[in-house]
This record gives sequence, C-alpha cells and structure tokens, in this order.
Amino acid sequence: MAKTTLTFLLAGMLVVNGHAMAQEQDKQKDAHDHHDHSGHAATQNEHDHSGHDMDKHDHSGHSMSQQSGSAVDHAAEHGAAADHGHDHSIDHSQHDTQATEHGDLHHHHHMDHDHIMDHEGTMIMGQNLDKLPSSCKSISEEVEITVRAGRKYAAKFPGTAFAFDQQQWHVKPCAKVTWHFINEDDIRHQFMMHGLPKYLYKYGMFHLEVTGPKTVSGTIIVPGSDDTFLVHCDISHHMEKGMKAQLVVGKGGDDIPSIPGVTSYNINDTYQAENLPKASDKAEPNAVMRQITTFTNNNFRNYGMMAIGVLIGLICIPILRAIAFGRKGN
Amino acid sequence: MPNHIVIALLTVYTMLFAVSAQAASKLPETIKVDRAALTSEPMCDPKISPAWREAQEIEGVKIEASPGCSPDNPAWIAAAVKGTNHISMDTLMKTGLSPDAIIKTDDLDGDGDPDRIIIKLEIMELNGKSPDFPGIIPTFDIAPGIQPGAWVFAPKTSGMSTENFESVRANPLLRLPSPVIRVEVGDIVQIVLENTHYFPHSIHLHGVDHPFSHGEHGGQDGVPQTSEVELMPGGRRVYQFQPRQPGTMFYHCHVQTHTHLTMGLAGMIVIEENKPNNWLQTLNIGAGHVRHPSVAVREQFTQEYDLHYHAMDKELSDMVQKYNDPRLIARDMNQRYDITDATEDYYTLNGLSFPYTLRESLIVVEPDQKIKLRMLNSGGEMIAVHTHGHHATITHYDGVEHNPMAQIMRDVFDMAPAQRLDLKLETINDGKHSYGEGDWLIHDHREKGITTNGMAEGGSMSSIVYKSYLGEHGMPKVSHFGIDLSEFFTKEYYERRYPIWQDLDEWASLGSPAGQMGLDPATQTSLLNALYGLLIGLVIYFIFAKREGIKQSITATVSRLKSPKGSNE
Repeated sequence: MAKTTLTFLLAGMLVVNGHAMAQEQDKQKDAHDHHDHSGHAATQNEHDHSGHDMDKHDHSGHSMSQQSGSAVDHAAEHGAAADHGHDHSIDHSQHDTQATEHGDLHHHHHMDHDHIMDHEGTMIMGQNLDKLPSSCKSISEEVEITVRAGRKYAAKFPGTAFAFDQQQWHVKPCAKVTWHFINEDDIRHQFMMHGLPKYLYKYGMFHLEVTGPKTVSGTIIVPGSDDTFLVHCDISHHMEKGMKAQLVVGKGGDDIPSIPGVTSYNINDTYQAENLPKASDKAEPNAVMRQITTFTNNNFRNYGMMAIGVLIGLICIPILRAIAFGRKGN
Repeated sequence: MPNHIVIALLTVYTMLFAVSAQAASKLPETIKVDRAALTSEPMCDPKISPAWREAQEIEGVKIEASPGCSPDNPAWIAAAVKGTNHISMDTLMKTGLSPDAIIKTDDLDGDGDPDRIIIKLEIMELNGKSPDFPGIIPTFDIAPGIQPGAWVFAPKTSGMSTENFESVRANPLLRLPSPVIRVEVGDIVQIVLENTHYFPHSIHLHGVDHPFSHGEHGGQDGVPQTSEVELMPGGRRVYQFQPRQPGTMFYHCHVQTHTHLTMGLAGMIVIEENKPNNWLQTLNIGAGHVRHPSVAVREQFTQEYDLHYHAMDKELSDMVQKYNDPRLIARDMNQRYDITDATEDYYTLNGLSFPYTLRESLIVVEPDQKIKLRMLNSGGEMIAVHTHGHHATITHYDGVEHNPMAQIMRDVFDMAPAQRLDLKLETINDGKHSYGEGDWLIHDHREKGITTNGMAEGGSMSSIVYKSYLGEHGMPKVSHFGIDLSEFFTKEYYERRYPIWQDLDEWASLGSPAGQMGLDPATQTSLLNALYGLLIGLVIYFIFAKREGIKQSITATVSRLKSPKGSNE
C-alpha cells in the first residue's frame, strides 16, 4: 500500500521535475546572477571575522594567481555587477587560473592543472577548458548551468536532508559546460561528477567544493556519446540524504538510482502509520464531557447497528418466504 | 500386501533405535577450524608508513617518536601545531584537512605563540545506511568486522568522506573518537561548528571556562533548553571563549544528549597552562600519544597520553543502519529508544576496541619515566580502570589539581560518567610504582569492559608496554611466551564463530564438536512420532477396509457365543 503511494508520489515528482528541467538555462543564469553577488556579500559579513582578515598576512606569500594578468582583470570585473564575471574568466584566463568567483584570488594556496584551492578550501578539481574528448570533433555548444545547493532544496523531497535545486541537467554530446555552483548553506558542499573519461579527468572526476554561502565555477567538456553521469556531494551522508543528481548527455545512458524525485531508491525503508495525537482528539472542552459523549456515542453506535440489523431482518423475511414458498409451489 | 508394509515399518523403527543407541555410545568428533578459513587481517595495518613512527621535524614542528603500530600522521601534528594557515600546501595536502580547519593568529600577550585560535568542526556519520547498496558507508571498524553506526565531531576536511572513489572506508580524519582539542589559558578560542549532519546538534563545553552567552554569537552553553536553539543541518555556530583555568575537560553535543553523546559526539578538551612559546597541538586526532606536548607538560613529564574511554549501545547504533530516512531515525531515537532499558555493548579506548587498541593506544614506556595520562570517561556508566604492574598517582580530578599533600596512588581508577582524571604514571621499579618491565595490561575492571558486544577479549583493553617488550611493527612482543594474537584479528572471532580454545592443545580438547552422527535427537523424536502416526493410521485403515469382514467375524463370534446360550434357553 505504502509502496504504491510512494510510486505515485515519485511519478508525480518526475512530472514536476520535467517541467523544471525544461527551463531555459540562460534565463536562469540571468535570474541568478544578481543573487550570486548578494550571497557573496553575506559571506563577507558572516565569514570574515572568523579568520578572513586575520590571516591575510599569512597568504601574502602566495602569489600564484598574480602572475596572470587575466585573473586580476577578473577580480576587477567582479565588482561590476552588470558584467558577467565568469564568462570572462573562462574565455581569457589560462586554465590554471580559473577563479572561484570570489575576488580573493591573491589568497590562492594551491594551483596545478588538476587542483585549485583557496585558503577557505574552495576547490576546483579536474577542470577541462580546452581538451576535446576523442569522440568529439568540435565543441557542440557552450552552456552555463547554475546549480544551487542547500538544505532548503530538500524541503520538496520528504525524507531527505540536503539537495541541489535541480536533480537532472541535459546537455548535448561534446558540450562545453560551465558550472556555477552556489552553496547556500553555511557548511561545505560539493558538486562532484563521476565516470568521465579518465584520460581527460583524473579518477574520471570533476569536483567543485565550497563552504557557503559562496559560489565556485568550473568548466568541463562532456564526451561525444550519450551517457549519464552521477553528480553528488560526497560529504558523509549528503548523497544518501538527498544531495544527488545526474547529468544527461544527449539521450543519456542508464539512470542513476535514488535521485530524489527522478529515480527510485534501490533499498527502501518501510513506513507505517504512527499513532500521532490529533487536534480532533481533544475538541471537547473537558474530560467529563468527553467521557459522556464517548459513552453516548458508543451506545448510539451500538443501538444504531442493532436497529439496522433488525431492519435488514424484517426486509429479508418476505424474500426468504417468497423463495421458500416459490420452491414449494414448484 | 498390507502385512508387508507393517513388517517394513517395524524394521525401520528397530533400525532407528539401533542408530540412536550407537550414537550415544560415542560422542561426536572434534572439528578444528582451519585458520585458512578465517578472514585474517595483518596485526599492524600496512597502510601506515613506518616512517610515521620516527621522531621528526615538519614545518619546524618537533614531533616525538611514537613506536606503536599506527602512530598519528606527522603532517596532522604539524598542521595542528602551526595551524592550517601556517603550513605549506605540500604538508596541507598530506593532512586532508580543509585550509581553514585550524587558524592560528595574533600573539596577543607577546609570548611567542598565537593566541587567537579558530577550530572548525564538522559532524560526520560513520557506518550509516545507504539507499544504493546493501552495505554501510563510510565504514569505520572499531574491531575486526565491528562497525557500529556512529557520529563524530571531525576536523574540517577537504574532499571525499571515503579514502578514495573505489573505497567505502572512511577518510582517516573521520573516525572515533571526536578529536582531542588543546588550547592555552588566555587564548581567544573559537570553535566553529559547521553542522554537516542531517540532525540538529550543538557543543557543550563541559568544565571549560566559557561565557553563558556571547554578544555576537549568542548562547554558548550548547543546551537547547537554556541557552540556544538547536543548530540545524547546514548551519554554523561559533562558540567563543577565553579560558582562565587549565585542566582536562570534556566537550559534547547537548541535543538529545542521552543518544547523541553515546553515538560518539563527545571528545576531550585540554586547557593548557599559559607558557611562552607554547605552540600547542590543537588537535590530537584519534587521541592517544601526544607527540608535541605543551611546554608545561614537557617541563614535568617524559610523555603524555590522552585516554578517552567511551561506550556505545548497539541498539542505538543499529538505528542509522536500519533506516536511511532521517525522520525514521529521529522517531526511533527520540520516541522509541528507552535508555532506561538500554545496555552498553561496545567499550572503546580512543575510539577502538581490543585488538585494535594494540595498534593505536599502547602506552609505550621505558624505565624511570614520568608519564602524564589524561583520562575521560564519556560512557554512560562508572568505569574502573586497572593498571597491571603499576600504581599511579591521581593529580587532578575533573581538571582541578588535587592537593599535592593529599594525592593518592591507586591501581584502580573509578571514573563516573563525564569524569576526568589526570594520572602521573612513574615507571620506577620499586614494587609500588612499577613491578618492572613487561607488557602490562590496562583495562576496565568491570568485566564487561573487556568485551565487545559480550565477546571477550575485546573492549577498551590496552597495555602499558616497556620498549623491551615491544616487537615488530610496534605490537607487543608476546610470541616468546607461545602467544599468538592473530586470531583476534579476524572478524569470525567477534562473530563468535571461532572456538577460541581449540589450539590450546594438539588434539583440540576444547574445540568444537561435530554435529550428531546421523540424526539429531529432535529429528529422531519427530520421525518416530511420524512413524507412530503412520502405524495408527494403518490400523485405522485396516479396520475401515476390512470392516465388513470384521463385522461378519464379530457377528459370527457373537452368534457363536449367543447360540450356545440360546440353545441353553
């Protein structure tokens, strides 16, 4: 019974989700861009006093990002809200200077081709700006997708704790996809993709990680064949508790299980109705009244049923008689 | 024809009797479990580099030698001493810590060490259920094959929760117990709790001098009934304090404490005396040997160990393995679990049970040393820790120094729940402080404390080992006594499937008996009953089938009986 209900619920969610997916990415990007920066401002307020300004001097030695002029440009552009900072950082900067759209590029601790991390642990791993997969002749489309992560997105999926704002994204084979990952919680979240070709992506992974509220962006080029890739947050039990999605390339491959609202769980919990208190239980003003009414209600019910029984009996007698007589008549 | 059947059945019946009579005259053979059938683990985890045991210097941080099998990663110690904001990227990458996990700045009193300390803690689940496969993730074994569901405060990490993409084993930073925190008197400390778990939590600083409320950060006592609301998943809260008193203290979650504490959200926090150039090892991950002790400890002691005793309830731990839906876990934990009917099943020292305690929590000593032991009992019951071969002096109760004139020596240390004791263990061979060199057990003397879910040897048992008794790979040397500890490093042992005394003599006099030859008594009885039933059935059938004949013969008999009577009349 519960299973059927669940299935229906899931089916319903799928339909709803389908609608959500259909939204134009560009439209989203415009709508969210403004928000990005407000989130960023919040970071400055809440985050900074816990260490930001204190350790400034410690990082002055790290000048990796300053070697790149474009990174500085990016930082400058970042202040101008009208301009689209990410586009520029991706188009102009060399692969290793891709920024965490935060402006504090001079804080960067660590950079190599596979792994970029700043002093707060904001991380881009396995980014690929220009290496074409062997199955692609050229880039089919360039898209930007904004992904939001947070507890509040789990609200629409009962029984989960964390979620992305969308559970499924569609791109064409050989698409160059720039992900803007907006973490709206005050903790760490990850956008981790698995199963990418290992000759282009270390461990077959692309990974964005950021402590919110803050945004990090990174770019990949997807392979040329239809496939579906797992996207999740690998912090203990974030995926299990809802933070799971899939990237569908072209027509996609096999669906990934237990994506909230998209695919069913491999292993399901069993649910049973609880004996929860209800407001109607205490509608009567006092206990004595309740007892009296319960008593009369019960009696009424019993006598009522009895009366109905008598009635049925009375109606049935002639019928039974008729049958009996009829037989005799025959 | 029917007569044949009767005869056949009777034959079988007699044969059965014969078989059972024979079985009773000779008992089943002893079956020896082949060691090759066991899932043997190496006694010392080979994943840990032996180089970690050596005394070394990383980032200018002097790290003491730690000759046990599984010492702490030296990079962790360097990061904990310098702060993740003061170490090279190379060292940081070896730790797995987030670059903002431990931030140390501002020498406020000008004595050569940083006085603003920010420690970021996350909350991680270990051994929880997955909706994707019938296993648990990320796994953490407290003993071979023993994987209780648990929650821990973990230093803020970077990257995956498992060792790597292929593994389900937890990242080494995610482990029991919650890490030991060390700060100095006068430090402005911020413990930043980032609730990465799916339940609400808090931090209560038991015994630590902290304000009840902070102007900027709100309530600071961690209690949802007095000082603050629960910190929800995805939220962050800052606990700020400037301790005025030193001592061994305790921190734990105070939300639904009766379950959350048992689940593992409990750790030791040590406030060290304020000394010049006192760069502290802010986190002792996994507790145990302190490889960079404070200035005050170094002045008075040769070595220092953090010993965190804990107990967990299997019934509670199982809940996170039974359900994935947080609502169901919450229901079972909050409304259905009754701690007054509960029993503790797993006893751990520094997050592990014997034999894993031998890997990590040996107290490795040499003669004439003075060793500081800081002990915490975060279990739900009183414990009684006994040191074989040694009497130690209790110097502090609950972080407060006991009057030096009145300090006493004991060999059993009773600790109430949440209690802390500081011990001074002196390895002076005088028959009182120490009886000499050896591999001396240190264990909870409530006998259940040396079991794991009721199976001995397990629990929080460890050893005080003299270096002369330390063998290869930092495990105690016991083979010269003919002792083989390898059976403990198999999960079958703790599954209770291994007859533990089978190898005490050559013919395995206390091995496992084979099953009954032929049929076991219960089957025999039921088979016999079935036979009786069959026989009765057959008799009834005969009577029924031959009823005419019987009737006739009865009538004949009766008439025969009657006729002489009749003739008589």
